[in-house]
Amino acid sequence: MSGHVKNMCPQLTISQAARTLLSLLLVAAIDSVSAAVVCRKQPCGSSLQRSLKLTKLIHKESVDLLKTYKVSQGDMSELFCQMSINNVPDPNISGLDPSERMLSIYSHCKAFLPHLKRVTEQQTDLQPPSSSLLSKLSTAHNRTNGLANQINCIYQTLFPNLPIPPEPVDGPTSVPPSQNVFQQKVYGCVVLKRFKEFLSRVTRELRTLKSQVCTRRTTFADTNALF
Amino acid sequence: MISMLCLMLFVPRVFSSSTQVAVIFPQDPALWMGSSLTATCTVSPERGLHANTMYWTLNGKRLPSSTYGLLSTNGLSVTLHRLNGSQQQSGDNLVCHSRDGHVLAGSCLYVGMPPEKPVNLTCWSRNTKDLSCKWTPGGRGETFIKTKYTLKYKLRWYGRERECEDYSTGQRYTCYIPRDLALFTPYEIWVEASNQLGTATSDVITLDILDVVTTDPPDNVHVSRVGELEDQLTVRWGSPPALKDFLFQAKYQIRYRLEDSAEWKLVDDVGNQTSCRLAGLREGTVYFVQVRCNPVGIYGSRKAGIWSDWSHPTAASTPHSEPLQSGSCDPKSGEQNSTLRRELKQFFGWVRKHACGCSGMSIKLYDQWRVWLQKSHKTRNHVGKNNIPFISVPAQHRLHSYAP
Repeated sequence: MSGHVKNMCPQLTISQAARTLLSLLLVAAIDSVSAAVVCRKQPCGSSLQRSLKLTKLIHKESVDLLKTYKVSQGDMSELFCQMSINNVPDPNISGLDPSERMLSIYSHCKAFLPHLKRVTEQQTDLQPPSSSLLSKLSTAHNRTNGLANQINCIYQTLFPNLPIPPEPVDGPTSVPPSQNVFQQKVYGCVVLKRFKEFLSRVTRELRTLKSQVCTRRTTFADTNALF
Repeated sequence: MISMLCLMLFVPRVFSSSTQVAVIFPQDPALWMGSSLTATCTVSPERGLHANTMYWTLNGKRLPSSTYGLLSTNGLSVTLHRLNGSQQQSGDNLVCHSRDGHVLAGSCLYVGMPPEKPVNLTCWSRNTKDLSCKWTPGGRGETFIKTKYTLKYKLRWYGRERECEDYSTGQRYTCYIPRDLALFTPYEIWVEASNQLGTATSDVITLDILDVVTTDPPDNVHVSRVGELEDQLTVRWGSPPALKDFLFQAKYQIRYRLEDSAEWKLVDDVGNQTSCRLAGLREGTVYFVQVRCNPVGIYGSRKAGIWSDWSHPTAASTPHSEPLQSGSCDPKSGEQNSTLRRELKQFFGWVRKHACGCSGMSIKLYDQWRVWLQKSHKTRNHVGKNNIPFISVPAQHRLHSYAP
């Protein structure tokens, strides 16, 4: 036997530059995954159907949420909920074609999130810790975030060539500045009332979109590509 | 490939800043119960609203105009006396309206009392692992407004003051310390209460964790009959597993009640056994039984701990003293004797009538009679419902056909 010990594992020499490049690529890949929603291609009809079911659930819960909210604030007339408050998203879905309307649903969902969060923070100070209002607000926030992600995925699948605007800026421009307690009560009522109305519109819209978008053989992306 | 979001800014709708319609003073005040308040609503002059057209509501109820005061053309006050405690912890809604009911401004009133010293502070440890404490608010007035309670504790002779953090055990006025508790060393524990109107601190209690130990209820509680004894039941159970880990001994209590009664009977002298026989019970009756455990002898101490919760109820029934009228499969020995006697009587009667005396008596003859009996029963059932107490022998079934 030879006294020379053979190294059975081939040595892989990686240059310093290549190692740096590999690290950068890995970081970029991880960052890209964490920054965007990971969507899997799913059949159009079943995706929209799922979103429709989720919307119906959130809408049903929003009715109870608003009732619970009003009871928690004391006797408040319907007038409080109809007061004019700046910066609260309106419940209307805009756009002419399905892609615009789907995008409107997505951006409205995202727009409501910081307001739901602000109402939760305010009510945490106003309500006893055992109040069911706080858990209902938290649930509404989580489910709406989930719905936004679903709509995002469906949009990307149906309209891959159309850009999606970035996340709305979550800062002082989107939620009101500090308010006195009465203003907080009114603000919360306006947010939840508009939220409930928005979800009602989304339910109708998703039904329409499902029949418009999923039954056609030609995708709107292809149609848009013609222009 | 996941589409990347564009870096263009999402431009929210541009909203114009709203000019405040009116201002109420004071805004969100904290007030003592029984006190008075004068609030003012001042509307912006450019709104063109006159104060004498405005009105006030408190928690949705319109306040009488006799309580109003006209301060100026655009300022209206209201005076409230002997305020009651707030209807909700978020505050009472005092609102200033225009003539047509529109809301001009609002202020939330917090009417309550400063807290009193929290009382009845008690704590217990589950298997020496943790510490739970509960207390009662010292006064009622503090419950109308948001009052914060903070449970604090420290080792008696050294250590820094710490705060309990978990108040979410589902019950009010309780707190839970899950870990890192010292044994054989006394703790000082107290509760601090505070709200917008004041603060208060409970008395300090001193305890060693090992003095306030409770454990889990016994598991595997089984209740069974004692043979056919109609007034007794046996109860068996397992000792809580945690006892093995902490050198506890244990003593037990049993309680039982009739199914349709709310009154429990307590058996207190069970000791450290894991079985017990209940006696003096009612026959043919369903009983519910529960067992609980007290850890004694913690690390050699003779001091008792705190009784555990009762185990889940287990049910069992005592036997009946007599067999059922119908469907009884187990006749008593006395009845068996009379049945045999009657049968023998019938057999001898048949032998006398149809056999040539009893000289040919044998078990074979008995068997033949049994066969004949069976055939004659079938004939009787076929003919009618006559319940013939003794066997009748049809002419064609004379004994000579059964002669041995």
